[in-house]
This record gives sequence, structure tokens and C-alpha cells, in this order.
Amino acid sequence: MRARGLFPYVLILPAFAVVGFISFYPTLYSFFLSLHSFRRGQQTFVGLRNFEQILNSAGFYESLRLTLVYGLFFVSLTLLFAFLLALAFNRKLGYTGVFMTTIFIPWMLSEIVTGIIFRWLFLPGYGLLQELFSPLFGNITFLGHPQGAMGVVVGATIWRTLAFAMLLILAGLQTISSEVYEAAAIDGATGWQIFWYITWPLVRPTTLVVVLLLSLQAVNSTGLFLSITNGGPGRATEVLSVMMYREALVFFNFGYGAALAVVMFFVNAILAAVYLRTMRSEIVV
Amino acid sequence: MAVISTQAPSSVARLTLRQRSNVVLFLTLALVSLLVIFPVIYAIFTSFKPRGFGLARDLLAGGFYLGNYELLLSTPRFVRQIFNSFVMSFGGGVITTTAAAMAGYAFGRFSFRGRTVLLSILLAVMMLPGLTNLIPLYKIASDLGLRDTYLIMILVYAAYGIPFGTWVMVGFFRSIPTDLEEAAKVDGATPFQAFWLVVLPLAAPGLTAVFITNFVYNWNDFLAALVLLSSTAMKTAMVGLFDFQNQLTGNNNELLIAACVLIMLPGVVLFVLFRNAFLRGMLEGALKG
Repeated sequence: MRARGLFPYVLILPAFAVVGFISFYPTLYSFFLSLHSFRRGQQTFVGLRNFEQILNSAGFYESLRLTLVYGLFFVSLTLLFAFLLALAFNRKLGYTGVFMTTIFIPWMLSEIVTGIIFRWLFLPGYGLLQELFSPLFGNITFLGHPQGAMGVVVGATIWRTLAFAMLLILAGLQTISSEVYEAAAIDGATGWQIFWYITWPLVRPTTLVVVLLLSLQAVNSTGLFLSITNGGPGRATEVLSVMMYREALVFFNFGYGAALAVVMFFVNAILAAVYLRTMRSEIVV
Repeated sequence: MAVISTQAPSSVARLTLRQRSNVVLFLTLALVSLLVIFPVIYAIFTSFKPRGFGLARDLLAGGFYLGNYELLLSTPRFVRQIFNSFVMSFGGGVITTTAAAMAGYAFGRFSFRGRTVLLSILLAVMMLPGLTNLIPLYKIASDLGLRDTYLIMILVYAAYGIPFGTWVMVGFFRSIPTDLEEAAKVDGATPFQAFWLVVLPLAAPGLTAVFITNFVYNWNDFLAALVLLSSTAMKTAMVGLFDFQNQLTGNNNELLIAACVLIMLPGVVLFVLFRNAFLRGMLEGALKG
């Protein structure tokens, strides 16, 4: 329909007012804050000193490394399990709807509830999974061990995200028509050949999108770290987002925290740009 | 698969092989689902145990004990924080649904100057990382005296929900034929009346989907509430849980788990009841930007 004067603009006004105040304005404001220092309620302009401080601190690079390690394990393992599950669900066995609903329930739990349940499962000395798994990992106390604690957070994140990743891959698989598979079966292709020459090339774009979405989630993951390890033991799980949270909202180093936020903003923007490009070029909807 | 079975005699054996592998696959899916849901079931069992019985390897040890729930529901702080969660989630849902319906109608129905750019800008917000935004927002809300209020949380939840809600509504309005509005206008209705009285009732399923999904996401929010709320009386149930976890060092885990079970309930129940709306929403949000 053609526009009737101001009517469409009036209709979009409330949406833009709320989003402008809560999302756009603070993002711009964080650039301003990042150029200042806040000491004893005094706001002073310090130029790029906060960024200098970030790039010169060993803590930043350690947090960056932890974020990458976390992201690598979380994204690759989630993708692997989600792919296997999606292939299984794609066989359309019937009566699998209840399984689908079941594995989605963790996605409907908040990060803090997930965190408390995992802390309970890995309670030092007594937790069910602590007892079950510790013989496999040299009898460590998971939550008291640097890599062990990271492993618990990775596990909790996979548990929560698996169904979501599976659903997206399943949607990709379902765009492949069954005729293609039937033709391949008649021509005598083996299961592995069918997967490698038909399924994989056709779901590759969806998989790429899932990898990018999971990476975005990994970079920004905060809640599960706060609830399960709170950055500990020591600073062994202090990923970038946890570092940012602590600097800005525990130590009230607003300038420094905002500068970290700006760095994170650009990391996100790059990932988001790649994601949007992938969507445009690869996915035809 | 009927196609294969009509091909040749040898394919009969292949079919039974396939059937057998289907049974194995079905059982594997059942087992995986059971493993995935196990922590939740374990938590539910634990919540019905008296203090100290949670770690017993027997799931039924300690009998069927309701004391944890009785204690929680008679603790004013807990009830108050559940109430706060409800008000903020509901308020956020109402504003999200209203603003998304209006904007979705504008973007879905009309062509106007700047339409594409404005829609892209609104959708780009979905890509803004949460915590990065919350640090400056904390400062802004403090300066305006809005920290620790229902208002700021309702606005934050609305801002999180509006871009995605608008996207869902654009698709919904496009699926409704324009004939009825045209007829309403011929009968002398203003554009607003046509929208409000004719189109909106037809879009009710879309509005419900947007509201329910937004409500659950708000209910489950932890980070925004953690950053923007500081007094015990204003905190949401999720932040209350975080405090509870930190205060209690290995003491009454059964009580803490019972609080988790109560707090997870609205999200889980709404998901099970409206799962198609959730699943469709997730697909649209992720794959059709």
C-alpha cells in the first residue's frame, strides 16, 4: 500500500523511541565514557589512555586467550553434537516430537538456574558428576581446577545451546528434497557418499551461520561464568566479558570498563558483519 | 521409502536393514533426550528432600518432603522477587507486543520514504551485545535516577524484544490479505481504525507468539537485572537466586534447588504449551535476517 502521510512514521515511533533510548544511545555513550577516567566521582578526559592500558596489560591477553579457548571448545563440540542429532531427527521416525521438546527444555532455563544445577552436579567432593567424571580426569576437583572449571562451563553452555543449534541445522537439512536422496540411493551411493557429496554441500551455508551465531554467543557469554565459577579459581575462567563486568560494575572503573566494551563492540561488529554477509550470499529464502 | 521397496527383490533385505537401523536410531534419540533432561529431573527430586539428603545416591532418599517449598513460599523476600520478575516480564511483554505490532504493520503494509533503511537499523540492534550495552546504560540510568525501578527494566526488556517482535509481525501482516482493510476504508474507517479494529484481531496468533516468547525471555533474563537492580526489594527472582547461591556456602542446597525449580517453572510450562511459536520464532530470528 502507498504511504498515507505521516501514518507509518507514527506507527514506528514507539519502537524507535524505546530502542533508541535503551540500545543506540548507550552504545554511543560507551565511546564517550571510554575516553574518560572516573576517580572519586570525578570525570576527567584521558584520551586513549584506557585503551593503552588495556593493550599493555597481561590480564587482557590472558582473558582473550581464555575466551578463545572457551569459544573453540564450545562451538566445535556443540556443532558436532548438534549435527549428529539433526541427522537423526531428519530421518522422520515419527513420535520424535516429544524428544525434540525434551532437549529444548534446557534452552528455556535461565543462565543462573543452569549454573546452580551444574554447581550442584559438580559440588566439590560429593556432586554426582564430580564423582562420576573425576576418575577419568586424574581425580581433580573440577570447580577448583583451572581447566576443570572451564570444562564445567563449556559443558553447561553446550547443554543449554545444543537444541537451538540442532534446530537450525535440521532446518537446513529439510530444505534438501527427498528425491535427491532417492536418486542417489538408486544409483548405489553409500551412506557416507550421500553425506559427503549431497548433504554436506547443501547444509554448509546453514552450518556457517550456526558457527557464527555460536561464536557471537561465546564472545558475549557472561551469566554462566558468573554463576558457575565467578571467574575463578583465581582468574582461571575470567573471560573478556567477565573481566568487563568486574572492571565496570564491581570495581566501578567505568572508563576502563567502557573501553573494554568498545573493544568487545568491534569484535562483535566484525562477527556480525561476516554473519550478515553469509546470510546474504549463501542463504536464499 | 516405498520407492526403494518396489525396485528389486534384493531391496527387501535393505528395507528391513533400514527398519532395524531406525529402531536403533529411535532408541538413541530416546537415550540422548533422557541424558539431556536428567539434570532437570535430578534437580526436581533433590528439591523434595530435606536438608542433607540431596547427595544420597538413592533418588528417593529422605521421602517426599515439602518443607523446602513451604519455606520458600512463606519467605516474603522470595515471593516479592517472584512478583518483581512477573511485573517486569509482563510489562516488557506488553510494550514489546504493542510497539512491534505497530511497527510491523507500518513496515509490512506501507511503502514510505526510508522504509528499508529504518527496518535494517531496527534489525541491526539484535546484533548489539548485551553486556557491552549495559555498562553505559548503568551510568545513564543512575544519572536519571532510573536504576532500581520497574520502569527501566520494562524498557530494557521491550528494547530487547521489539526488533525481533517487529520482524515476526512484518511477516504476519504480509500474510493477511489487504481486501478487508480496503473494504473498511470504503466504509469510511480511518487508517487507524482499519488497523485497530480489522487487522489486529486477525493478527492475534502473531501477537500471542510475540508476547509469550518475550515474556519467557524476560523472565529468564539474568544479566540486565543483575546490573540495573540493587535493592533486595526490587531485584528479580533470578538475581535473588544469585544472591542466595553466594550467601549459602554448601549449607542448604536442597532449598536452593527447590527455588530453582519454582523459578524455572513458568518458562518450561509456557515453552511446552507454545513450543511451535518458540521454534518458529527461533528459526525466523536466526536464518532470515
